[in-house]
Amino acid sequence: MSLKLFRRSLWVYHLNSGGCNGCDIEVLNIFTPYHDVERLGIKLVASPRHADVIVFTGPITRETLPKAIRAFFAVPEPKAVVAVGSCACGGGIWYDSYAVIGGIEAFYRILEKYYKVRLPPTVYVPGCPPKPEAIIYGVAVLRGVLKQKQRKTYFLEKEVPTLTRDFIVNLEKYMKQGGEISIGKR
Amino acid sequence: MPTSIYEVLELMRKYGRIEKIHKDTYIVEVKADKVKDVCSILHWKLGGHFSVTVGSDERLINGYFAIYHVFLLDEQKISIIVHTKANPAIPKIPSITPIIPGANWHEREAHDFFGIVFENHPNLERLILPYDWPEKVYPLRKDVSIEELRFKILKPETVEAKVKPEEEYIVPIGPYHPALHEPEYFELYVEGERIVDAKYKGFHVHRGIEKIAEERLTINQIPFIAERICGICGYTHNVAYCQAVEYAANIDVPLRAKYIRSILLEIERIHSHLLWFGVLFHLLGFDTGFMMTWLVREKIMDLAEILTGNRKNYGMNLVGGVRRDINEGKIKLSLETLDYVEYKLGNILNKMLKLKEIMSRTKEIGLLSREEARKLSVVGPVARASGISTDVRKYHPYAAYGELEFKVPVYDAGDVYSRVLVRYDEIFESISMLKQLLKNIPKGDLMAENVEVPEYRKGLGLTEAPRGENVHLVITGRENKVYRWRPRAPSYNNVPSTLVMLKGENLADAPAIIASIDPCFSCTDHVVVVDVKRGTRRTLRLKEISRGRAR
Amino acid sequence: MKASRIEIFKEALKTGVVTKKYPFEPIEVPEGFRGKPSIDTEKCIGCGACVSVCPPNALSIEVDAKRGVKRIMLFLGRCIFCGRCQEVCPTEAIKLSREFELSSLNSKDLYQVVELKMAKCKICGRYYATVRQILFTARNVPKDQRPLLLLCDECRSKVSAKYISYARW
Repeated sequence: MSLKLFRRSLWVYHLNSGGCNGCDIEVLNIFTPYHDVERLGIKLVASPRHADVIVFTGPITRETLPKAIRAFFAVPEPKAVVAVGSCACGGGIWYDSYAVIGGIEAFYRILEKYYKVRLPPTVYVPGCPPKPEAIIYGVAVLRGVLKQKQRKTYFLEKEVPTLTRDFIVNLEKYMKQGGEISIGKR
Repeated sequence: MPTSIYEVLELMRKYGRIEKIHKDTYIVEVKADKVKDVCSILHWKLGGHFSVTVGSDERLINGYFAIYHVFLLDEQKISIIVHTKANPAIPKIPSITPIIPGANWHEREAHDFFGIVFENHPNLERLILPYDWPEKVYPLRKDVSIEELRFKILKPETVEAKVKPEEEYIVPIGPYHPALHEPEYFELYVEGERIVDAKYKGFHVHRGIEKIAEERLTINQIPFIAERICGICGYTHNVAYCQAVEYAANIDVPLRAKYIRSILLEIERIHSHLLWFGVLFHLLGFDTGFMMTWLVREKIMDLAEILTGNRKNYGMNLVGGVRRDINEGKIKLSLETLDYVEYKLGNILNKMLKLKEIMSRTKEIGLLSREEARKLSVVGPVARASGISTDVRKYHPYAAYGELEFKVPVYDAGDVYSRVLVRYDEIFESISMLKQLLKNIPKGDLMAENVEVPEYRKGLGLTEAPRGENVHLVITGRENKVYRWRPRAPSYNNVPSTLVMLKGENLADAPAIIASIDPCFSCTDHVVVVDVKRGTRRTLRLKEISRGRAR
Repeated sequence: MKASRIEIFKEALKTGVVTKKYPFEPIEVPEGFRGKPSIDTEKCIGCGACVSVCPPNALSIEVDAKRGVKRIMLFLGRCIFCGRCQEVCPTEAIKLSREFELSSLNSKDLYQVVELKMAKCKICGRYYATVRQILFTARNVPKDQRPLLLLCDECRSKVSAKYISYARW
C-alpha cells in the first residue's frame, strides 16, 4: 500500500468496540483548537465506506464483535488500521475476561481463521489513554513520515561469578577487590 | 412521621434485626415476604430514595443467595440496606418493581448474573449479557470460573458464524463531524415527526469487571480497574471503592489525603461538565460553542497532568491514602489556572447560553415531572433540575466536603434548559470549592499507617460523580481479595428516564434530550427510526435528525 | 436578555490562535509524567515483585530450565502506566520515564526481554534463584548463615531442621 507524504489527506472512521471512552475523547481532542489535525488533512467521517483508515479503541467485546467485523469489511481497500490505547493493543486490563475477545491481535486471529483475509498495515499506539500528540505521532509513523523510535530490546547476562561457600561468606572482601559485581546496586 | 434517626431505626426494628455496619450505615435483615413493605416505607413515606440492588452468592459463607436493596435517606443523613436471603435450590424473592419502577433494571441484572427469580416483575428478560449467551449459565456464581466460561462454555465461533460480511450496510447522507460514538442504540417509533414510543438496547460495553475483580485482582489492584470503568468520571469510582474498603476495615485516612482527593474530584467535575457543554452544542449544530468550551477544557486537563502525571486515569489512590503529594508551586499554578477558567467562562459561556437559538431549542423540551423523577429514582443534575434537592456531598459528606461551604443548585422546570443551568451553576460552585480547598490544605501524612483488611466485612462507599451519585458495595474476602464488589454508575438510574422524556416530542429534538441526561455511555450515532403509520424502518445518523427547525 | 452573535465572535477573535506546532516541533511534558517504563539491566535482580503487583499482567516472569535463565518480559501494549512496579521494586530497577511516543508497526517491537542466569542448588541440582538475587539477599544475612542461601527452599528447610544454629554441611 503506497501512502504518499501527507500530500493526500486521510479520512478516518472511528469505531468504539466496547471501551471506557477515555481513548475516544482523546481521539476527539485532536480535532479541537490546541491540536487541530485538520490542518494536516485528517478528517473524521461517519461511514466506513468513505474511510481510508479505521481507528479501534477498546477491547473488542462479544457484543460488538459482529459489528466490528461488518465495519471492517465495509472499509474499501487499500486500508490501514490504528489501534489506540492499551485495550486495543493487547486487551488491556480486561484481557482474560469472559466477555472480551482481546485486543486487535485476537480479532485478527478470528478474521484469518474464519474469513481468510489479508491483514492490513497496522500501527499500535500504547497508552492509557495515549496523549493526543502520541496519536498524531502514530499516524505519522503509519504514513512513513516519522521514524519509529520504539524497538524490541533483549538483554542476556553474560558473566556471573561462581558461587562457592567461601565467596558468599566473604562477599564484601571480594566486592572491594573485584569491583564490578552486579548485585542490584541501589 | 418519624424524623429523627432513633425513630427511623425503631420503626425498622419491627421488621427485622438491625445492625450498624459502619458510620451512618445500617443493615436490616428481613424475611422475603416483608421486603415490599419495608422498601415502600423507606422510599415513599420516609422520603428516602432507592439506590441499587445487589445480588450476591453467599453459599460459601452461610449457604444462601443474598439480595441487598440500598436506600439513602437525605434528611436523616444515613443509609439503610435491606437484606434478604433466598433458598439456594430455587432462589425466589418478591420484586419491588411494582412499587418502585426504578428497580426494573437492577433486578433484571441480578437475574442475569445469579439466576434469582423476582416474582411479579413486569418483564424479566435478559439485560446485560450478549445475545448469544447460553441459557442457565450464570457468570457471577462462585461455582464457575473465568477459565471455564472463556474456553469451555463460550467460543468465538458461535458469534461470527452468524455474521456474513456481504450483509447490507446503510449508507448515510453526507459526511460530517460526529460526536462521541458509543455502541448502543435507541429505537424510536414515530408518526410523521412525533415520537410515540422508544426502546433502548444497550450494554455493549459489558466487560465482566466484577468477575475479574473477584478472581484475579488483589484489594490494592482494584482501584486501577475501577478508574477504567468510565472514561470521563473514573476517579469518582476509584474514591468510592477505596472509601468502601476503608469504612469496612475501619481505616483512618489522614486529613491531607482527604483534601487531595477532594481537589482531584472537583477538577474532574469541571472537565466533565465542560465536555458535556461541548457535546450539547455540537448536537444542536453550534460548533463554535463546541470548540470554545473544549479549548477552555484543555487548560484543566493540563493542570491534571501536572498534578497527577496523566490527563485521565489519575492513579492517585490506594486503600488508605494517596500516592503523591502537592507542593506549593503546584498550588500556585492551580489557582492561576482557575482564575483563567473562571474569567473565560464568565465571558463566553454566559453569552452562549443566552442566544435565542439555544434557548428556543432547549426550553420546555424533554420534560420530566417531579413524580416521575421520584418513581424512577433518578439522581444527579437530572433530579436537581426537576425540583429534588439531592447531593451526596451535602447530605452524606465524605472526604473533605464536611468542611466546605457550598450551595446545591435546584431548578423546578424539569426541561433541558434547567439541566443546562444546573450544570452551569455547578461549574462555578466547583471553582469556589477548589479555591477553599487549595488555600486551607493542612499538613500531614499521605497514607494511613495500619492498613489491614479483615475478612467478610461489608462497606458502602458513596460519592457524587458529575452525573449523579456513585454507589459501591464491597464485601471483603480472604487472602487479600474481595468477595463481592458491585459498582453502580449514576447513568444506570438515569437512562430509563429518557424513555419517558421522549414520548410526544419532535424527532429533531431527540438528540438534545438524550444528551441532556449526560449518559455515561453517551449518545451513539445509530438511531433506528420506525414509522408506525407507513411501516418503514430507516437507520439514521443522530446529527441528521438534529438538523430540524427550532420551535 | 438575548445576546448577539457578534459579541461571541469578538470573544473568539480575542482568543487568537492556540494551535501547538506538533509534530513539526517537539513538546514538553511536565515533571512527574508517567511515560514508558523500562528495566535497568544492571540493577534488576529478578525477584518478581513487580510481576505480582502489575494489574494487567504486562510484566511476566518464567523460568527456562534448559538454559538455566530466568526471563522477565515487559509488554508495553498492555501496560496501563500506573507506576506500581516502580513503587515496589527493591533496587529501583524499573522506572517510568517521560517518553510518550511509543507507536510501532509491529507488536513484537513493544517487548523488552531481560534474561538473568540462575544458580543450581548444591544438594539437589535444581535451578532455584538468580545469582543476583542470592547476592542481594546475602548482604543482609549474618555471615554464619550465608551458606544456607546456596540451597533451594526444600533442601534449606531440611538442613536447617537438622542443625540448629550453625550451618555446617
